[in-house]
Amino acid sequence: MKPHRRKKLGIILFIAAGLSVAVGFTAFALKQNINMFYTPTQVAEGEVGPGQHFRIGGMVKVGTVLGADDSLKVNFVATDFVSDVPIQYEGILPDLFREGQGIVAEGEMDAAGVFQASRVLAKHDENFMSPEVKAALDAAGASADNHMPSGTN
Amino acid sequence: MWVWFFKLGSPKWFYELSGKWLPWLVAAMVIFMTIGLVWGLLFLPPDYQQGFTSRILIVHVAVAGTSLAFFPLMFVAGTITLVWRMKLADMVAKNAAILGAWFSFITLATGSLWGSVMWGTWWEWTDSRLVSMLFQLFLLLGVISLRSALEDSDAAAKACALLSIVGCINVVIIKYSVEWWNTLHQVSSPVTTDTSSPNGPEFWIATLIMIVAVYLFLTVSLILSTRNEILERERKAQWVKDLVLKAK
Repeated sequence: MKPHRRKKLGIILFIAAGLSVAVGFTAFALKQNINMFYTPTQVAEGEVGPGQHFRIGGMVKVGTVLGADDSLKVNFVATDFVSDVPIQYEGILPDLFREGQGIVAEGEMDAAGVFQASRVLAKHDENFMSPEVKAALDAAGASADNHMPSGTN
Repeated sequence: MWVWFFKLGSPKWFYELSGKWLPWLVAAMVIFMTIGLVWGLLFLPPDYQQGFTSRILIVHVAVAGTSLAFFPLMFVAGTITLVWRMKLADMVAKNAAILGAWFSFITLATGSLWGSVMWGTWWEWTDSRLVSMLFQLFLLLGVISLRSALEDSDAAAKACALLSIVGCINVVIIKYSVEWWNTLHQVSSPVTTDTSSPNGPEFWIATLIMIVAVYLFLTVSLILSTRNEILERERKAQWVKDLVLKAK
């Protein structure tokens, strides 16, 4: 390779390396801001300031969904299997919302420690199953819950 | 190897060689695309939670994965343009940007469709996977407009090579965003050959065929647009004149 070409290639690679490092440091510094949501454990550890508008991500704890008969109000508990956060929401839930499902709720903590959600989104995991496989797994006693972090229920 | 490398840089040589490859590539693309689309959109088993909505992901995953190839390609092409002054590499980089913008757009559109049904939202500004993909689209639009503003000059090649470096870093961010940060977007599905567990072959074989089809589509489109570009830029060259006369 001719010297002036080698020099040019060197400059390009130097710029590439420099920019990568700069972006890497920025992303690291902004880590918490880039996260879409806090986990219930982070909330329990007080990482979120009082009165702050934020998002919680977790699983809908099995057996905790309580819907009102005369309104769209619903209460449930979000969990990461270490800490729990009670959530209250009024509105239409996504179709995928169910017990054991991952969700992201947006809102604020009230004085009683209940998360008042203004929005609830369903989070889909990376697993795809045909109904037949799901039925077979259920029949074998190994439901989809086994693919979630240990300590379920 | 170097002889081959410099030969490829000759527009005339590339034009002739790619003309021989094209029929095979197009045939392979049609076969894979037909199998992938018919299988993926008509015969793929429904997901137990998502129903038939999961079929959108056959297209989404294939196009999204392929869209990450553009910036690395443009970076390599841009480096070759700047270091070895190869005109052909510049033409490839120029056309790759336009194709890449379309791929990114289709990724965002199909993802939004799926998200609107499954997540309950079309778009989330706080999701790093979604936003970094949108950033890729804007970067590519930036490269395209830079090119049209600077008209195939040296400055255009330099500026676009620089943007390609940023684009490559962003590709890494897109890829790992779902692992480094909490996102609404799910992580990549692991594949398994076990037919009785999640993500079995009944889902991923169709996806794999679709990925091959989309890569072939990218290759064919890039070759076709580069051939057009060669004819336009070399229109005063003798071999192009001969080619046109022969066609008449």
